[in-house]
Amino acid sequence: MRQGTCSQCSVKGPLRTYFQHDGQVYCQACAESIPRPSTIIDPTICAGCQADNGNSEFSLIGKLPFCAQCQKQFYERPYPQWLKLTLAGLLMLLVVALVHGRKYFHAGREMYVGEKLVTQGRYGEAVPHLRQTVQIAPNSDRAVLLFAKASLLSGDPGSADTALRAHDGGRFEDTTEYREVDRIFGRATNAIKETNQAIELAGQSGKEQEAARLMHHAADSYSEMPRLAQMAQEFDEGDAFVRKDYDKFLAITTKLVEANPESPAYSAEMASALACKYAVTGDLAWRQKAEAMVEKARQLSQASPEAMKGHEEYAERIRYRLESREIIDKPEYDRRFRVGKAQAKN
Amino acid sequence: MFFIPGPVIALLTFPGVIVHETGHFFFCRLFRLAVFDVCFFRLGNPAGYVIHERTDNFKALFFVSMGPFFVNTLLCMVFCTAAFLPVWELKTPDPLAYFFYWLGLSIGMHAFPSKDDLSNIWELAPEKAKHGNLLAIVSLPLIAILYVLNYARVVWADLGYGIAVGILGPIALFRALA
Repeated sequence: MRQGTCSQCSVKGPLRTYFQHDGQVYCQACAESIPRPSTIIDPTICAGCQADNGNSEFSLIGKLPFCAQCQKQFYERPYPQWLKLTLAGLLMLLVVALVHGRKYFHAGREMYVGEKLVTQGRYGEAVPHLRQTVQIAPNSDRAVLLFAKASLLSGDPGSADTALRAHDGGRFEDTTEYREVDRIFGRATNAIKETNQAIELAGQSGKEQEAARLMHHAADSYSEMPRLAQMAQEFDEGDAFVRKDYDKFLAITTKLVEANPESPAYSAEMASALACKYAVTGDLAWRQKAEAMVEKARQLSQASPEAMKGHEEYAERIRYRLESREIIDKPEYDRRFRVGKAQAKN
Repeated sequence: MFFIPGPVIALLTFPGVIVHETGHFFFCRLFRLAVFDVCFFRLGNPAGYVIHERTDNFKALFFVSMGPFFVNTLLCMVFCTAAFLPVWELKTPDPLAYFFYWLGLSIGMHAFPSKDDLSNIWELAPEKAKHGNLLAIVSLPLIAILYVLNYARVVWADLGYGIAVGILGPIALFRALA
C-alpha cells in the first residue's frame, strides 16, 4: 500500500483515501474545500478485493489494478448454471419446433409449389400439390382459394366445391382472390346447371336438338371441363340418330372412339352406328365392322361388372338391328321385347 | 401510438433480453474481455446489462456490441420460421406454433444494440475506417441505421423489426425453396 501526504495540511495516510486536483494531493478533509477533486487509484491495491500487494503494482484492466485472482474471475466469469440450462432448453425447443413444424413445412412447400404452377397456368399439375396443403390446413384462405382455382380451371368443380365448403363453413374474406374464384365457380355452376337441363331435355322425345344446343353452350362456357365437350358430342350423336343422319352418327362415334380407345361404351356406340349403316344399306362390310366393334366393346367391358352389364344390354339391341335391319330406339326395343319378359317373370 | 412502460415490455419479452445479454457476454468471453458485472434480466432500466473492459480492438468491440443484433435476428428468424406457416399461411390453431412465434418475436424485438453499444463503436469506427479497416467501413452505415432505429423505438421500431424478420424472413426462405 502506498502512502500519500496532503499538500495542504501535510497529514500522511493511505494513498487510496486521498484525492488529487491540479497535480496536488489532498486528504479527505482538505479535499472538501476543493471543487471536483478526483480519487487516486493506488496501483498496489486490487480494485476488486482490496488485496494489498505491498509496494508492487498490480496489472491494470482498463485503468484499474486487479490482483491475479480477480482478473481470472473477470476474464473467466462462468456462465450461470440457470443460463446453461435455459440455453439447453432453448436448443431443445428449437429441435421440437423443427420436428413439430415438419408437416407444416411440407404443407407450406406444397402450397408455394402449387402457387407457382397456378401462376404459370399449369392448373392440373398444381392440384395434387395444393390438395396436400388443404388436407393439413383446411382453414387457410390462401391454400383453399388456390386449390379451388386450380381445381376449377382444370375441370374439377367437385373438389373445389368440397374444399370451399370445408373452409370455415364456406366463409371467406372478400378479397380479390376470393372474388376471382367465386366468378369461376359461378361459371362452372351455371354450366353444370345447363348440363342437367340438357340431360332432362334429351330424355324428352323431339327435344334432342335443343338438348344438344344447350349442352354445347354449357361446354363452351366452361371449356376447362373436357367432359362437358365430350357430352356435347354425345348429345350431337343422339340428335344425329334421331334425325336418321347415320353418316354423322358414325362420324361422331368414330371420333369419340379415337379419342377414348379404352372406353367400352364408345366402342359399343360406334358398333351401333355401323349397324345402322348396315341396316340402311344392306352392305355386309358394315355388318362385319359392326360385329368386330361389338366384340371389341365386349372385351373392353370385361374390366368391370358394371360395364359388362351395360354392354350386354346394348349388344342385344345391336344384334337385333343386325339381324332384322330394323332401327328402333331403346324405349321401343324395351316396349317390344323386355316389358313382356319382365311381366312373364313376374 | 400507445405507451406501455418499459418494464412491462421487458417482462412480456424477457427471453429476448436474456438472449441479448447472453450475446454480449458470449462475445466478451470469445474475445477475452474482462466482464466486471452482468445482469441477464431484471425489472428495471436497463432490463439487462454487461459491464466489460474497454478495448481498442475494433473487431472485438464490433462483435461484443453488435453480436446480440446478429444472434437475436438469427434466432428470431429460426423460431418464427418454425411457426410462420401454421400461424400466418395455414391458419391452423396450433398453440405450440403460437408459443414459438411469441418466443421468436420476443427475441427479435431485443435485437437492436443499445445507444451505449452503438456509441462505443461509433467512437472507434471512423478512425479505424480511415486506416482501411474493412469491418469498420462496413459497420458505419449499419451503425447509422441502427442509431435511427434505436430512436424510433418510441414508435415501436423494435417490434416492427421483430415482425419484419419473423414474417419476411420465412416468406423469402420458403419462396426460395419452392
